[in-house]
Amino acid sequence: MKTRIIAKLDVKPPYVVKPVHFEGLRTMGLPAELAKKYYEQGADEVMYIDIVASLYQREILFSEIESTANELFIPFGVGGGVKTIEDFSKLFHAGADKVIINTHALQENPDIINQAAQIFGNQAVVVNIEAKKWDNWYECYTDCGRIQSGKNVLKWAKEIEQRGAGEILLQCVDTDGRQRGFDLELAKAVVECVDIPVVVASGAGKLEDIKELIEYAAPSGVAIASLLHYNKYTISDIKEYLRNNEIEVSK
Amino acid sequence: MSTVIGLINYGIAGNIHSIKKAIEKAGGSVKIINEASELESVTKIVIPGVGSFKDAMQELQNSGLLEALKIAAATKPTLGICLGMQLLSSLGFEYGKTKGLGLINAEVKPMLVDAKIPHMGFNTIEIIKQNALLRGLEKEEFYFMHSYEVVNFHDILSTTEYAGHLFVSAIQKENIYGVQFHPEKSRMAGINLFKNFINL
Repeated sequence: MKTRIIAKLDVKPPYVVKPVHFEGLRTMGLPAELAKKYYEQGADEVMYIDIVASLYQREILFSEIESTANELFIPFGVGGGVKTIEDFSKLFHAGADKVIINTHALQENPDIINQAAQIFGNQAVVVNIEAKKWDNWYECYTDCGRIQSGKNVLKWAKEIEQRGAGEILLQCVDTDGRQRGFDLELAKAVVECVDIPVVVASGAGKLEDIKELIEYAAPSGVAIASLLHYNKYTISDIKEYLRNNEIEVSK
Repeated sequence: MSTVIGLINYGIAGNIHSIKKAIEKAGGSVKIINEASELESVTKIVIPGVGSFKDAMQELQNSGLLEALKIAAATKPTLGICLGMQLLSSLGFEYGKTKGLGLINAEVKPMLVDAKIPHMGFNTIEIIKQNALLRGLEKEEFYFMHSYEVVNFHDILSTTEYAGHLFVSAIQKENIYGVQFHPEKSRMAGINLFKNFINL
């Protein structure tokens, strides 16, 4: 299977921002413009995550999402502040193909995964895991690495698979935004512990990091943010590099 | 009579927005179909699909579209997309056993492969039978996201391979077409498929 190369937009409306280590924020541009740019570069998907909706207990901004979706003819995943089945439904109607959930499912109501999977199909339900490394285990965090849950990442990954999630977006609190490579052991452990696709984020700083991740952990997709936002590479640069290294990617 | 594509809107699950946008990009005009009476005025039909087989059939029943859709699809060129293709079948096995539209003699079963499920991402199609819908799209990549597949041996237009497992990625029986992938999520290849459908 061709490894998917996904552009990830962390949004603090109205701007795409780049959280550094999930903390400081830099403004990168408008979501609709960046999404269109990455689509034209050959991205296989775009993920849009409102990184403050949950923390501020704010409503999801559907109009921003709709205007971003308008430019795309590839799958569009949206998350941030999703709490109800109605939120899922409104996001699909705003143009999302997949809905990404973390905080509410982890902290309050994991059953929402089961309900959403039955209504919308499991392919449309993505669970975002924010992992933090401790001595000999990984803990699930929420709200961009701000809040601990006490839950073990691998146990939670198994649980959400059983509940019907169709995909995992795996982020890592320790490596996110630092551009110093992925946590390869974390990625491999999560990919191997479930039968659903895993998209790995947090860490791409150079092309070799992406190659190394795919060769070591075989994720279904890699989500890229900083490398693209800072114009270090385009999606087509990344794909060409991977193709030259005998890693299968789409055109 | 100019071509107007009726896009079936059923239930809370459907993402008809992106299909409408893609058909319009391909130069077609779209009418959203919310109730049975609206089917008469359209020349072609697209059945989208997000959700599970069982819920989708239930929603078609609840909205009163089910019987009218069967009648309209008997004569008007009809395209089912993803779950919409699966619904064309006689029987589905997602969350129990559910009767489908029965327009194509097929069953919908879980994909059994030694690989990640859902099958998610861009994959190529191998055209088995030359046809107007897939004209010019040989070896093109389309976006798939599904855990179930249509099992049918008679009406295959194209197949796709996933982890060594071959499955049906497009079918046709007379005026009725189905694609397992999402043309509306498949860049220009998908827009070109909609152009072919508009020109049928």
